[in-house]
Amino acid sequence: MKQLKHIWFIAMKDLKLFAADRMALSFAILYPFLFVVLFNFLLAGIGGEDERLELHLVTQEAEGGLSHQIIEALQTKDESQLKPGEPRIVWTKDYDEARQAVEDKELGGFLAFPADFTEGVLMGYGAQLEVIAHADAFNTRAALNGLARAIASRVGAQRVANHAIIGLLIEQGLIGQAIQQLFLGQEAIIAEEAFIGFEIEKVGKVEAENPANFVIPGYLVMFTFFTAGLSAVTIVRERQNHTLERLLAGSVRRESILGGIFTGTVAKGLIQIAIFWTAGILIFGIDLGLSPAAVIILSILMVLMSSAFGIMLATLVKTPRSASSIAVLASLVLAPLGGCWWPLFITPEWMQFIAKITPHGWANTGFNKLMVFGADFSAAVPEMLALVGFAVVFGLIAIWRFRTSAV
Amino acid sequence: MAEEFLVAQDLYKSFNEHKAVNGVSFTIYKGEIFGLLGPNGAGKTTTIRMLTTVLEPDRGHVTVGGHSIRDNADAVRSLIGVCPQELALYEDLSAIDNMVFFGRMVGLDGREARAQAMAHLELMGLVERAMGKVGKFSGGMKRRINLAIALMGHPELLFLDEPTVGIDPQSRNNIYETIEGLRDRGMTILYTTHYMEEADRLCDRIAIIDGGQIIAMDTPYQLKSRIGPLEQVTLEDVFLKLTGRRLRD
Ligand SMILES: Nc1ncnc2c1ncn2[C@@H]1O[C@H](COP(=O)(O)OP(=O)(O)O)[C@@H](O)[C@H]1O
Ligand SMILES: [Mg+2]
Repeated sequence: MKQLKHIWFIAMKDLKLFAADRMALSFAILYPFLFVVLFNFLLAGIGGEDERLELHLVTQEAEGGLSHQIIEALQTKDESQLKPGEPRIVWTKDYDEARQAVEDKELGGFLAFPADFTEGVLMGYGAQLEVIAHADAFNTRAALNGLARAIASRVGAQRVANHAIIGLLIEQGLIGQAIQQLFLGQEAIIAEEAFIGFEIEKVGKVEAENPANFVIPGYLVMFTFFTAGLSAVTIVRERQNHTLERLLAGSVRRESILGGIFTGTVAKGLIQIAIFWTAGILIFGIDLGLSPAAVIILSILMVLMSSAFGIMLATLVKTPRSASSIAVLASLVLAPLGGCWWPLFITPEWMQFIAKITPHGWANTGFNKLMVFGADFSAAVPEMLALVGFAVVFGLIAIWRFRTSAV
Repeated sequence: MAEEFLVAQDLYKSFNEHKAVNGVSFTIYKGEIFGLLGPNGAGKTTTIRMLTTVLEPDRGHVTVGGHSIRDNADAVRSLIGVCPQELALYEDLSAIDNMVFFGRMVGLDGREARAQAMAHLELMGLVERAMGKVGKFSGGMKRRINLAIALMGHPELLFLDEPTVGIDPQSRNNIYETIEGLRDRGMTILYTTHYMEEADRLCDRIAIIDGGQIIAMDTPYQLKSRIGPLEQVTLEDVFLKLTGRRLRD
């Protein structure tokens, strides 16, 4: 009880100091706001409808084959009917030309049906779909893989039950409708299946719609980390001017001091994210996606992780100056690496890989999944766990190293 | 003599081979002002930090009010107030906010913390500046706030580590008077200083410390009379006699 009171009073005192510190306030709230306004404006110009992903389908079957029906059913007839984020599906006629285009890097990739597709399906020995994609075009590749999987699973599932009927229907020339039922009637399932491999496809949508959906989370991640990192300066200063030691002699436990500082730092972060999301929604019209709860939890975890980092940093440095230098440096290095300045999903694979070693990368990936790709809560769980992991590691180091005095 | 309140036995503390405190023992009796007099670097602050439970001794044993600092630090902490040598203040908070904060940390409720804070500010002649930011205060005013905070919760034993270092005569006088007032109300005080006049004026007994060791311990009167006729002798002479060098460095 007494410990909790101590924690509370220390946290409140830190908030009071924060509110009195104009410099800290501008770093925590004003600057992020300016950055968001600026980059939202700049990024709004990029992209547009032509960012829509194009998926090319080719068949090597003769006219009348099942694959012709499938492609006919799938291909985009009226682009204006497409929902934002849906890829445009194009029927490319010539396999060799398509292949050459991929080699020349004119085309990211395509999905090809083999010459014996209908036979394989109807006779029951299966068929091999082929995805030909350029090594660099991993967005397209992922989307094509997803599409191939969707086709394979739909055809596979229906094959046994339907193959007799299909045979019949083909003979009677009614196959078109049947295929429509098979695929378009199950649009939701295709979209869902495709979604797994399709994440990238929606880049076009976001850029066309609202850059704030990734600009705001990016700067939220950068600035919560920055602010919490800078709180290390205050902690070191308190250690140097003996106020922490004074608390200790005044029967405040070391754990309560640590807890109070942590709570205060977290409280600052929570204020920050509250402002971020409120401004984001009211001013920039961002969309928290399917699971606002996941977005909130992810932001809170970001705050907890950053606060643990700030305290850990305070335990690792000797002077306020080195604390602030490292906080600034870490924030400025980790922010771009972790995708705070531009979305990770437009960066090459190796950059996405590097992002994985930064907490920022995980946080941003989580926010992008939720707010850009329309994923649900469960999709962001790995990112949440990663942030918990970082927080635990930083926290343990902080607890282990925390001293109230300079010696 | 009166009741023993603090007993320090054979304290040692080294910082990387450097012996800051090298076998210090003394007893403070209830109601007295005990002076620890010594030049800079003598080991006064290190001794106080050990006595106030914030620094663990390498060796030695201390009890305060019968409680061991090692085994029952919480009980010790509830008896003591500490005015550290450095200004341990929040410069960006007002005087009253500083005092109320530390008051609440020693377990006072909000109303009591506020009442004590105002009373102590009054004592220190700082009531008009209660709402002022400490960062804007003069050195002497900060010293007084530093001391006032140590009084929050009415501790039974007060540690004052060079509370008057580097301040104006008015502030110094105010602090002297406050300390005498506290003594008159029965508070026990450990006072460190490197000013002889101060120790002479305030302390009932003095331990002269140098190089981490106590080299003499007695009343100011007795210390001086060891050397010669009282009217002609100062503590400075005592120190010179004992160590062969001047006290100020
Ligand atoms: N934290 C510390 N680390 C290293 N040396 C210290 C530390 N604290 C004190 N010392 C050294 O111990 C000696 C005694 O210091 P201190 O107790 O502060 O003396 P005083 O308070 O009498 O001026 C000095 O030589 C000082 O440099
Ligand atoms: Mg000292």
